[in-house]
Order: sequence, then structure tokens, then C-alpha cells
Amino acid sequence: MNNDIPAHVPGGQGEVMAHAVDACVHCGFCLPACPTYALLGDEMDSPRGRIILMKEVLEGGLPLMDAAPHLDRCLGCMGCVTACPSGVPYGELITAFRGWSEPRRTRTPFDRAKRYAILKALPAPKLFSVAARVGQYAKPLAPLLPNALRSPLDLLPEHVPAMQPSPAITPAKGPQRGRVAFLVGCAQQALAPNFNAATLRVLARNGIEVVVPDGQGCCGAAALHTGARDEALTLVRANLNAFDPDDFDAILSNAAGCGAGLKEYPMVLHGEPDEARARAFAAKVMDISEYLNGLLQDGALEPMVPASRPLKVAYHDACHLAHAQGVKAAPRALLRAIPGVTVLEVPEGDLCCGSAGTYNLEQPELATQLGQRKAKHILSTTPDLIASGNIGCHTQIQSHVRRQHSGVPVMHTVEVLDLAYRGEL
Amino acid sequence: MSPEKQALTSTSSAHTPVSEGRSSNALAAALTRALGARKVLSNLSERLNYRYDAIQFGVTPLCVLLPESTADVVAVMRAARAAGVPVVGRGAASGLSGGAAPMVEAVVISFTRMTRLEIRPERREALAQPGVITLKVSEDARPHGLVYPPDPASFRTSTIGGNLGENAGGPMCFKYGVTGDYVKALEFVDADGDVHQLTRDAYDLAGLLIGSEGTLGLITDATLRLSTPAKYTRTLMAHFPEVGQAAEAVSSAIAAGAVPSKLEFMDQACTNAIEDYLHLGLPREAGAVLLVDTDGDDLHTVEEERALVEQACLAAGGQVRRAATDAEAAALWQARRSVSPALGRIRPQRMNEDIVVPRSALPEVVREIRALGDASGLTLVQFGHIGDGNLHPNILFNPRTESAEAVHTLAHEIALVAIRHGGVLSGEHGIGTMKRDFMRDAVDPVTLGALRDVKRALDPTGALNPGKILPDDVAGGLHAHP
Repeated sequence: MNNDIPAHVPGGQGEVMAHAVDACVHCGFCLPACPTYALLGDEMDSPRGRIILMKEVLEGGLPLMDAAPHLDRCLGCMGCVTACPSGVPYGELITAFRGWSEPRRTRTPFDRAKRYAILKALPAPKLFSVAARVGQYAKPLAPLLPNALRSPLDLLPEHVPAMQPSPAITPAKGPQRGRVAFLVGCAQQALAPNFNAATLRVLARNGIEVVVPDGQGCCGAAALHTGARDEALTLVRANLNAFDPDDFDAILSNAAGCGAGLKEYPMVLHGEPDEARARAFAAKVMDISEYLNGLLQDGALEPMVPASRPLKVAYHDACHLAHAQGVKAAPRALLRAIPGVTVLEVPEGDLCCGSAGTYNLEQPELATQLGQRKAKHILSTTPDLIASGNIGCHTQIQSHVRRQHSGVPVMHTVEVLDLAYRGEL
Repeated sequence: MSPEKQALTSTSSAHTPVSEGRSSNALAAALTRALGARKVLSNLSERLNYRYDAIQFGVTPLCVLLPESTADVVAVMRAARAAGVPVVGRGAASGLSGGAAPMVEAVVISFTRMTRLEIRPERREALAQPGVITLKVSEDARPHGLVYPPDPASFRTSTIGGNLGENAGGPMCFKYGVTGDYVKALEFVDADGDVHQLTRDAYDLAGLLIGSEGTLGLITDATLRLSTPAKYTRTLMAHFPEVGQAAEAVSSAIAAGAVPSKLEFMDQACTNAIEDYLHLGLPREAGAVLLVDTDGDDLHTVEEERALVEQACLAAGGQVRRAATDAEAAALWQARRSVSPALGRIRPQRMNEDIVVPRSALPEVVREIRALGDASGLTLVQFGHIGDGNLHPNILFNPRTESAEAVHTLAHEIALVAIRHGGVLSGEHGIGTMKRDFMRDAVDPVTLGALRDVKRALDPTGALNPGKILPDDVAGGLHAHP
């Protein structure tokens, strides 16, 4: 599609957006991949419709606030990126657009306060943990609250676990075969500390030394995807300083959203002095499942103890793993490597569970509809266990599976591997 | 100025005070009162998104309706008629000829919420409203041991209503036919807002509605024929030093009695684009590649047919590779399905031709088109459902650096090649606005007059999808090209 996106859009971001708009040929192949199109059935809430809206706003043909409701409803799940035959980098467009538009738009005081709270709490695990504890005690009040406040409470577990800081260095067990850096994540430390503990155990068991570099922080994805570009840049630069890619075989994340965020650094810094550093950094970033699957494919993954009974595992593709990072085969291969495990495919598996980024907090009604739909599809496979690779999906799916009165456990892929290594599966 | 931009600026608020000024127009207000706000879109941000299909940019609609029943469609049609505003129907708007893009200020009816689908296995039929996604028909029929064969490339996205409007086909159409071959009955709403129930008896008015691109009436329900899937399928790939040899192989295989279920062709530019993109190990040096499926319920016949095709390919100077396993067959077909994405990476825009020529003329036609492409200086690739003579010559271009006029001229020359060899302008994508100009070359004035009479009989005021198919007396302005 042609565009006249003007040069006043700052730095490399205007170029990034113009390139994405140019690549779209409007074929509509993205429509069935879009969760909001599936729910609402109109063009404005489809990827190609949003591309038009962004183009029109950037060109000055449409007021930003007219387009905003539809752009705000985009989950950023990137299902459309996987489906797009022309390779439109939609993620780069919407992310850059949100950064460009946020300072130009109006928000209600309530909206502003909510966003401020989210952006402050998410990257600060301790603060988030405190907030989660407060929320945990507020849960009984949930039915009395408006939906915007109720839905985050619904997602909280019954008991918020204690924080478990990760050690600076976890030595390899047995002969050392590799050395990796690990991004510990933010909300995840507060809500599911066992994800990290399991990750460290599984890596060590495979002869990998794990370093948690000092000075690392939030990956910045939440800030970036909600349009808080300045905050995001601060976080991105802090991580570029904390991780020296030359020191490690890989930089690992076990949260799909964070991993995708780290891989976006070159786009964020496009046209800026740190772009080359960001490229070197991003080239080393891998999801934990990609890294372990590398060992598996080389025949170097330590064998796991067979499951105590035949086990059906429904694997849920986290959007930021499957669509944003293109990692689909690796987690399945790892789960299948556990003797006795069958991996089940979930109907409508490519559609987001509704929890992408801060969507639960910003669009609670659509998020709830998508969560219900996802839980129904997963449970239709009658699994013994549900596995996924992202904290956001984890909380969402757990919450909706429970609401559908099912007790099927929901785990991170690496937790399942950890249990298998310990003979507890 | 680029063609899209031309279409855009000619309709932007700067030139005609449509977009914002009349966004809360009286018609939208009346329809909102009658049908409820949920079904009516009247803000500019909403309407902007209903001016295009997969290629064209048209005129921003006055308002957009999202009906949920035939009664809603009737209400819209009556209101539009009373207000003297034209009506354009729309499915998923994945069409490539501009069929669903409004060319004048109009009401757009988007059928995406009319999605009722009922499978009647005992009658081997499906009842589908126009908004049903094409793939869904086969998905819902499969548990009953049935399939819906028409398989346009866009079948994951496109709707039954759109398929009916364009009479869509796909790779299976050589053996199994196109959308129109699977229609048993239709319901449609005419320009006056009256509802009609049609079967294929007496005057085949249903046949007239199919492929009429919403210019004669709006289809609101369809009874579709389902069939049983073939038990066995065999796949082969053949490649040839020169593009005309592939066409010769097709002609002689079919003359020898083979009826492949799929018979697809890609020229060298296509295979190389796919190789650059996916690295599947396709023969880069070949002038053309053929992909062939034979299928049926008797394995012996299926393999015999494959052998016939194989002999024809070898005799025409090709080399043949059989798919030994289903996985290998799937890998070969992945190549064909990847044509669009692969081409999208070469140039941002493409003009997709959709000609059909007699099979005996294929070798000459593909050679002539190749020569035209080479002489034009533009990037031209050819692929298509060559089994039934359907070719998709695609002109790939960059609107920033290449001339829209040159693209249009080459497209016109290609259309003339098809006509000269006794072919037609459209196999499965419709005429729309893209090939409306070429209708004068393809259809004699007397016949064109008869078509106009038919249109006038069903749509006396010209309110249905104006500016499509029939070149009329309004000079310029209405059509956008390429």
C-alpha cells in the first residue's frame, strides 16, 4: 500500500512504520488469525483495518482519537504476522505507532492513573509482589467491583508465593558444557517463582552454568507496547549495559513476552547509535525451549525419567513465542522427549488466550471472552496437564480453566521437564 | 501519482465533502433507528475501512451495515432505495478485481455477521449464509464424510457470499469445478428489497446471480452441494527447460485422457522467488514447473492417470519426480501455496491477471506473454491452474518507481493475447473494475447490449455495485486502474 507518511515522525521509527505500511497488499489473509476480528467481525478491529487507520492518522487524514479505540483493542499477539503472506512487520508498525501516538492522545484521569500504576509495578518485582498480596486480600471484594478492577483480581492465585531471588551464578552439574546469561523477568518472579527455579535446575542438570547479570531489569516490552517509549528506552539501555553478549553462549528468557521484547531491541533502536549493540545482543537471545531443544537435537540433552503413567499434555502456544518469535516446534519436541508423554494440539491453537501484555487490565471484557474460549478449547482435548511458555498465558489459562471447574494443572514447559528430571511426573 | 493515490485523493474530503461532513448523514441515522447502533457504522474511522478489497482503493462509503438476517438486508435495501443511494455488497474483501470496493458514494453491506451454517448429510448439502468462511463448510462437513470442493487460494479468509459473487475457483476446479457448480439453490434480495428463492430450474436465474459481483442482487442464503472426498491421491512434479514445453505436456496429457484433480504451473521467476523465500530445493534452472495430483477411489486408475501425465511430461522434454510419501507431496504443494508470499517479497504491488485460454493454445499463449513481459521492462511472472487453461500472469511493480500506465498497458496487452486465442478475461476473480475496460475488446457490442438489458431488468436504477463489470457510458472517473 502506498503511503505518504511524513518525515516529521521521529528518527528511524517513521521509516519503520512506512516500510510496514508499504508491505501490506490488503489480501485479508490476516483476518482469520486476528482474535478481535474473530470476536467483533469488523474491519476496524482487524490487522489490515488497523494498518489503514494508522496510515490515515500518520498522514493526517484521520484524527488520532477516532482511530484509538480500534488500535487499543489490538492485543499485539502477532497472530497476523504468522498468517501474513507478504511478511508485513505488523509488530514493528503497531509498537512504533503506540510510541508515537501516546504523547499525542488524551486519556481520562482514571486511565492515566491505571497506566501509571501498571508501568511502575510491572518492572519492579518487589512492588508487584506487594501489590499482588494486597490484591490477594481484596479478592473477596471482587464481585462488588467494576470489571476494570475485578479482572486483574480474578487472575491472581489464591496464595501469592514468597519471592525467591535467583542466585547470581548457578554452577553446572558435572562437566560444564555451556555458559548462559538469564533474564529473570518481573511479574513472573512474584507470581510464579518456581518457573525460574525449575529453569536453573534443568540447565544445571544439563551441564550449563547460568549467570544472572547484575543490573538487569525489566525487558521493557510492557512499556514499549503500551506506548511509553521513553521508559522503554531507559530499560532497554540498562539491559544492554548489563548483558555483554560476548561473555555468553546465549542470553535466555523463559517468558515468551520478555524473550520477544529482547529480540525487538534492534527495532527499538533503529537509526540510533546503539543499534549495532542491540543487534549483537538480540542475536544471542533465545527462549529457554529453543536452547534446550538445541541440546536435544545435538543428542546432548540429559535423559529424563519416564512419566509414572501415560500423560497427555495439551501444549498452548504463547503468542509471543509462536508468532513473535516463531518458536513452535522446540517446546513440543522437548515435551515429547519425556518418555510416556503425548503432546496434544489445541483447536484454534493459533488464537490468543486474551492475556497479551497488559490486555487483561486494559480490555477486560474482550480478554475474558478470549480466555473463556481458550479454556474451552484446551479442555476439549481432555488433557492430564496443560503446558505453556509464558507467565501471562499461564495466569489467564489457569484462571479460566478453574472457572470452568476443571482441576487440570497448568505448568510452564520447563516445570514439566524439571519434574521429569526429578522423577516426579 | 500512483493509481491508489489517485483513487484516494479523488475521494478525499479535500475534493468532495463526503468523509467527515456527512458522516452523520440522514440515511445512517434512519438505519440506526431501524436496526440498532450495533449494525450501523457511520464514523469516518469505521467507514474508511470498507472502501477496499485486496487490490483496489475505492470511495469511502456513506455508511456501512452489518446485517444479521435477510430481514436486515431488506430493510437496508429499501432505505437505500428511498434515499437514492447505491448499495455495494461485501464479504471478506479478499478479491483481486475490485469487486467489493465502492466506486461511488454508497452504502456498503458487509455480510461477515451472517454466518449461519447447517450441514444436511442425508441430502449431501450445506445451507450457508453469505458470511460463512469457505473453509468452514468443509470443516463442518468432514465429520459426516463429506467435503465442499471449491478451494480458492483465499479459502481460509474468503466468504461463501464473496465466492458466489465472483464464482471463485481454485486448484481443484479442473476436475471438480468452481463455486457455481455446487449451488443447488439461492435466496437473494433485489434492488427493490424483495426476497427471491431460486433453484436451477426454468430460467437459471441463480446461475446469472453467481459471478455477477453483486450487480444484480445480493445473495442472502445458499444451498451448496457437498461431495465425498477421493480415497487415493498421487502427486508428481515435472520441470521443463522452457515454459512452452510445460504447456505442451498439459495439452497432450489431457488429450490422452488424464483428468488430474490439480494441475498447477509456475514459471521460472515464480520458482526462484519461492526458492529465495523457503529453500525447498526446487529446480531453479527450469523454465517451468508443473505440479499434478491425480485422485479417485480406485488406486489402479489413479496411478494409471499419473503415468499418462508422466509420459506426456517426458515426451515434452521434461523431467519428472514422483512424491513417494504424503509428506513429500505436502512439501511440493507447499511450494505452490507459497507463490503469493514469495512474490510479495519481490515488489510491494502486483497486478494479478486471471485469463483463461483453450488448452490447445496454452504453449503459444504462455510464450507470447513471456515475450511481452520481457519487452516491457517490468517484472512479470506466470502461474495458474493450467489444467483448465487458467493462467495468472502477475505484473510485479513498485508504485514509487514504476509507471502505473506501463503496468496497465501490459495488463491490457495480456488480456488481448487471451482474447486473440479464443480465451476469456476472467477465470475466477471476476471482472470488477480491473478488467472492466477490457470488456469492449472481449464482448461484441450486441452481446454487451444484451448484458446491459439483463442488468436493467433486475436493477433499473443502477443502484447495485455501480461501476463494475459492464463498461457504461459514464466516461472516466469511475474506474481505477490498475
